[in-house]
Amino acid sequence: MRDATPRLTRRRFLEGAALGATTVTLGARRASAQAKPTITYWNGLTGADGKIMDELIDQFTRETGIRMEQQRIVWADLYAKLQVAVPADEGPDLALIHTVEVPHFASDGILEPMADATTSAKGFKAEDYLPSTWQGGMYQGKRYSIALDVPQHLLYISTKVLKEAGLAGADGKPKIPGTRDELLAMAKQITKGDTYGFSIGTTNPGRYTWGFHNLLWQNGANVYAADLKKSGLGEPSALEVAEFWSAIQNQHKVAPPANANCRDAFIAGKLGLWIAGSWNFTGLREAKVEFVAAPVPKIFKQATVWTMPHQFTFPKKKAVDAAKRDAAWAHIRWMSDHVAEWTLKAGQVSALRKPHSDPRITGDPVFRVLLGQAAQWQSGQPTPKWVAAENLTRPVIENVYIGQKPAAAAMGDLARQINALPD
Amino acid sequence: MRRRGAFTPYLFLAPGLVLFALFRVYPLLEGLWLSFTNARLGRAERVFVGTANYARLFDDTRFQLSLVNTAYYTIASTVPILAVPLLLAVALNRGVALRTFLRGAFFFPFTLSVVTVGLTWLWLLDPVIGPSTYYLRAAGVPVRSWLADPATAMWAIILTTVWWVTGYYLVIYLAGLQDIPRELYEAAAIDGAGGWRSFWSITMPLLRPVFLFVLVTHVIGSFQIFGQVFVLTNGGPGDATRTVVQHLYETAFQNFFHFGSASAMAWVLFVIILAFSLLQFRLLRGHTQY
Repeated sequence: MRDATPRLTRRRFLEGAALGATTVTLGARRASAQAKPTITYWNGLTGADGKIMDELIDQFTRETGIRMEQQRIVWADLYAKLQVAVPADEGPDLALIHTVEVPHFASDGILEPMADATTSAKGFKAEDYLPSTWQGGMYQGKRYSIALDVPQHLLYISTKVLKEAGLAGADGKPKIPGTRDELLAMAKQITKGDTYGFSIGTTNPGRYTWGFHNLLWQNGANVYAADLKKSGLGEPSALEVAEFWSAIQNQHKVAPPANANCRDAFIAGKLGLWIAGSWNFTGLREAKVEFVAAPVPKIFKQATVWTMPHQFTFPKKKAVDAAKRDAAWAHIRWMSDHVAEWTLKAGQVSALRKPHSDPRITGDPVFRVLLGQAAQWQSGQPTPKWVAAENLTRPVIENVYIGQKPAAAAMGDLARQINALPD
Repeated sequence: MRRRGAFTPYLFLAPGLVLFALFRVYPLLEGLWLSFTNARLGRAERVFVGTANYARLFDDTRFQLSLVNTAYYTIASTVPILAVPLLLAVALNRGVALRTFLRGAFFFPFTLSVVTVGLTWLWLLDPVIGPSTYYLRAAGVPVRSWLADPATAMWAIILTTVWWVTGYYLVIYLAGLQDIPRELYEAAAIDGAGGWRSFWSITMPLLRPVFLFVLVTHVIGSFQIFGQVFVLTNGGPGDATRTVVQHLYETAFQNFFHFGSASAMAWVLFVIILAFSLLQFRLLRGHTQY
């Protein structure tokens, strides 16, 4: 007679153990996944700043357990992708965009508004931010974004080029231009052969709209009039800027050709005075270029400085996953708390005021210049048409730069094109 | 049995036809429908607007300029695209030294992506730090910014394209040349024909089908040019090199995502390409007899 009691054979023991282990592992994973969701994050940090963001996200994941799946796409493609993906409910949980994109994405229903109660409950308050960056997240009275940092212009001065041009003092430090006359006089002294005195823009200076906008704002002009309905580019103040834009290339002959790569030219010691974005300076240091940073000179009536803050946004979802939304908020909070690291490594001044007194930041001469410009910061106008108007501007100002079209005719034509943009 | 057998070829064709219908025919027809609507990416509703998008193209001066630029590029690039690979193919077909190496060397650029080609030439032609600028200046030749001058920008793009695609057409020409029976050349030589006469009386007429292929594919590709322009000039200086596809791309993906207008542009371009292709077939039709 055989024993009816089931015997624990070695095979049964191993099967049972394997099943148990699998159940425990899956259960633990499920529990962990429920507690710490993975969120998707799209951004356009395709330069050196992307690597810094990777490092910070790794640290964020280690500290919080929240994983982030990033898609890094060049800005223009990122915006097109958001416009396609969000209506199909395929958008990310979190997206980093430029301030000027907020109005048109908000008006197209691509972005989720952030309730004031939620924003303040998460610890984000207006008084902690520089006013222009906080205001940049608003569109028609609603908040759509939280600012991260403030990419901005500054003047890079090549120590080597200025020394060679006899524009350095006895201490070896280059002279710093503060006004248009000083800038042009120095640029003329520098320009010789294949070395150029002055340029504005990273690549293709002829069509560098951010530089053109900077000059417009310095002269009290803007793309749109104050009511944001008609273009302001037909105004005499805008025309004056266009004439200067043409003159640096055609009359003073101090600027490189329209399609030059100014960053490479500066690194190669072929450009003396260069107004460009703050995102360039960490790369210049890595390339061991000797340079001095200075505030953007006052070329027109006021020393306004162009800025383009990065903003955290929530692309719209058909059904919001509360855990993922909380995780996205947690990331914004964490980045805001660690924004000094971002500033130091990526070279972007924070939108939050607190890190501005961090001795590691105030001890750096470039950051001191960037922070010193804060009172002069200005950004694009809050209209959904801003980006389309900017796209129309590029070829027109390039024609002015190369002397292909007179400034007055070009500005009149551009204003007409902008006024004809559909709603 | 015979009836079942008649369907067999269609069964084999079916996967390809289904994919063709799904990924070619359907988007084509969807694009046609979009061109009659006010479709905009991000806007749920689409309203039928009749031919308004097509009518608007008559007022769109930048679209008209991009058509002129595209036509200019197509016409100006056709002769070098037809001639340069042909001359190289004829030379290589004669059994010059290092033939295999040269064939590979000429074909190599075609293996590169358009972005790689564009960035390479962008650097080569950089007006400040580019090697061309450096060596021309060193040789005492007046330097200019080829890509920033409206008079030369399109020619710089043509030069880049010729460098890029020559290897591809060279291989096609070589295949055509090797198909021509040697006896014809031998007979011509016995009759006293020289190399030049053989080229015009034997090579050229017998390459007619290859010419047709090269011409049609080049013209279609030229009307659709985008990559080189986008990387090298972005349509500049000003709008001097703006082409139809770039204008279409910006309308669809950069300026308000106007898919209706962009689709209308795409269909106008389609009709133009179709007309040119039919014209070429008509002009170059005829049998090649050995």
